[in-house]
Amino acid sequence: MSVLRRRGALSLRELSLSTPVTVVSCRARSFSVNNRPPPKYPGHVPLNFVERGALAVGSAVGALLNPRRADLIAACGEATATPYFIYRLRDAMLSDPTGRQILRERPRITSETLPLPYLRSLPENSVGRTYAAWLDREGVSPDTRDNVQYIDDEECAYVMQRYRECHDFYHAVTGLPTFVEGEIALKAFEFLNTLIPMTGLSMFAAVRLKPAERERFFALWLPWAVRSGLASKELINVYWEKILEKDVDELRGELGIEKPPDMREIRRMIREQKKREKERLQQSA
Amino acid sequence: MRPFTRSALRPYVCPSCRSGRLVGRRRFGSKPDQAPDVYDVVCVGGGPAGLGLLAALRASPLTSKLRVALIETQDLQKARAWSLDSQHFSNRVSSLTPSSVSFLKKIGAWEHLDTDRAQEYQEMQVWDGETDSRITFDWSADTSPFENLPTVATMTENANLVRGLLSRIAASGDENISIFSNTTVSSIENGTDHPDGPDLSAWPVLSLAPNGTAQSQLPTRIAARLLVGADGINSPVRRFADIATEGWDYNRHGVVATLSLADPDQVSFPIGTRTAYQRFLPSLGGPVALLPLPNNHATLVWSTTVENAAYLKSLSPKAFIAMVNAAFRLSMTDLKYMMRMERPANSASDYEDLHESELTWRLQHTPQASQVPPMVNGVQEGSVASFPLRFRHASTYISPRVALVGDAAHVIHPLAGQGLNLGMGDVASLSKTIEYAVDHGMDIGDILSLEKYTAERWAVNAKIGGVCDMLHKLYNVPGHGPVAWGRSLGLEIIDRLPFVKGFLMKNAEG
Repeated sequence: MSVLRRRGALSLRELSLSTPVTVVSCRARSFSVNNRPPPKYPGHVPLNFVERGALAVGSAVGALLNPRRADLIAACGEATATPYFIYRLRDAMLSDPTGRQILRERPRITSETLPLPYLRSLPENSVGRTYAAWLDREGVSPDTRDNVQYIDDEECAYVMQRYRECHDFYHAVTGLPTFVEGEIALKAFEFLNTLIPMTGLSMFAAVRLKPAERERFFALWLPWAVRSGLASKELINVYWEKILEKDVDELRGELGIEKPPDMREIRRMIREQKKREKERLQQSA
Repeated sequence: MRPFTRSALRPYVCPSCRSGRLVGRRRFGSKPDQAPDVYDVVCVGGGPAGLGLLAALRASPLTSKLRVALIETQDLQKARAWSLDSQHFSNRVSSLTPSSVSFLKKIGAWEHLDTDRAQEYQEMQVWDGETDSRITFDWSADTSPFENLPTVATMTENANLVRGLLSRIAASGDENISIFSNTTVSSIENGTDHPDGPDLSAWPVLSLAPNGTAQSQLPTRIAARLLVGADGINSPVRRFADIATEGWDYNRHGVVATLSLADPDQVSFPIGTRTAYQRFLPSLGGPVALLPLPNNHATLVWSTTVENAAYLKSLSPKAFIAMVNAAFRLSMTDLKYMMRMERPANSASDYEDLHESELTWRLQHTPQASQVPPMVNGVQEGSVASFPLRFRHASTYISPRVALVGDAAHVIHPLAGQGLNLGMGDVASLSKTIEYAVDHGMDIGDILSLEKYTAERWAVNAKIGGVCDMLHKLYNVPGHGPVAWGRSLGLEIIDRLPFVKGFLMKNAEG
């Protein structure tokens, strides 16, 4: 299934580059495969309504089957963002001085623009240090982010790119880990904060959780996500690159984010408790 | 309405008997009862409406012999001497509909206007800043392709119109006409029953006071067979007649300015066709309109909240131009942000570039509507001003020996540019009513003769004023909600139905 989609996307891209077409706007009028308009920015793949719908459904199902497929989650996010939601997020950025500065300068977050050694050298409990520590703990790199290709408006495409690249900072600030339970908790928080549909759709992944995890999700993480997501300022308007040296607790206070309990810690405690119980059972047996 | 005075209610007693009866009481009365100067028509207010009425009365052979007077607080000599070079325009400009123009032609005032300073336009583009739905007003549906497009309206400076009307009145000679300029009406009251002269107890008598430089031949009291109030929104005549007005303030200001435009990108077809542009900005409180003036100039009318108007007026010329260009091009979000941009403390030159650079940057990322006005590249010095927007409508326009015209009778939202045209319609109707009364030997001040005027005009003015008010309210709902959706759908439907559009345009023309 996912392999098929991959190939489909590739062939679409080839087609779009090889056929000379004159249609200017692809939002105003639908088009067929034979007269696909030229890309609006490097890497752009113009899709019509049917293709977009198929991509949204296909990538959503694929991502549900295999939550490790970040590319499918990304494609799903792009395919479902277009009517309204991404424009709302862009307007939220345009209404804020920092958001406008970000849109104007269009910074990218990679390991080149934010070198890890520098981040590690920052003072304890600073945003940059926390971010680096989180990257190290989870063993991930900021360079694994795909480029946006299915959003037609080039500015909105950047907004989506920015959201994607900032996602790790959200992880770092909330301290939530990258496995499914942590991701779902963070996505719930993001949905209430950014209103990107994909983050809301990710809630369906709760069906994949183990019963104990699901119980924790509804009892602990979801209430936290609703509280913090609604109370906090628009996270997309944070110029992370400029506040690396700020104290992370101070930042949380400014943005209005509550720090959730440490998920890894909880899981470890539960594991140990289970282990102790098991040992006790064995001893009693 | 003013209660009928005692003279109207008491039984008739012939004047000679009355003078015998009352002579003793009168003689010892404390009032120095000097008989006032009696005029047939006294018009208070020398704006376009008042002068228009005078010019219309002087133009008709039936009414040209009436003894008329006009009282104006301002110095009309200044208005007569008004002149500007061809690259400068007054910021008070009105759009005259073809019916207003034909009325002015009929009374012979049009030829006294400097028509080189008036600009006709043949097309009007109106669009919604929130949803970009658009309507185009022109007469192309009713015209064959081999004819010139008829004008939608003609932009004229109010000063040009006033000067033209004054010179039309001057050309009609100076018999039976008195123009008291620089004069205030200090009081209006009912006259008294003069023992030897006329019974003026049901006539309005005005006490005049010179304003600054006194005129020697100024009579202090004049009586009016018909008193016409063309004295604006706070009309003293209306107060005297005790006519109630209803209305409200919009809490909006209209920002006006005279602008110069860059050369348009594409040549208009047919050559010389000019277009007026209006974009509704729901989040900013009202529409912004750019109306053409000769020599590639334009006049701006931007209806917006009081705070935004104050902000716009405080901007430097460069920043103001950037804001005007942005108003026709950028999204509501950008405009709202730019309206709140802080003035940095350090220097003024940085600040100017702020709005401009914001505009340049946003233009790269904002898809442009199909038809936007040419870029504004200059603002005439000292032409940026603002005025409050209000709605007022008098409950009636007449009272015994009193009639109201123009702003004294109705004040409406300027979004359709109809204010002055309604005033011209009033004047045309009132002058016809007076003509009819004179022709049929009626008393021109009698309420029965005047009835025709209010019957003809009240409903028309209420309709246009109401539509403008409704449009104002409809286009003040921000966001993309159901209201925005509904109004855009309505606009698109009207745009695609030529007969509906033609009907609306004919209505707007009056």
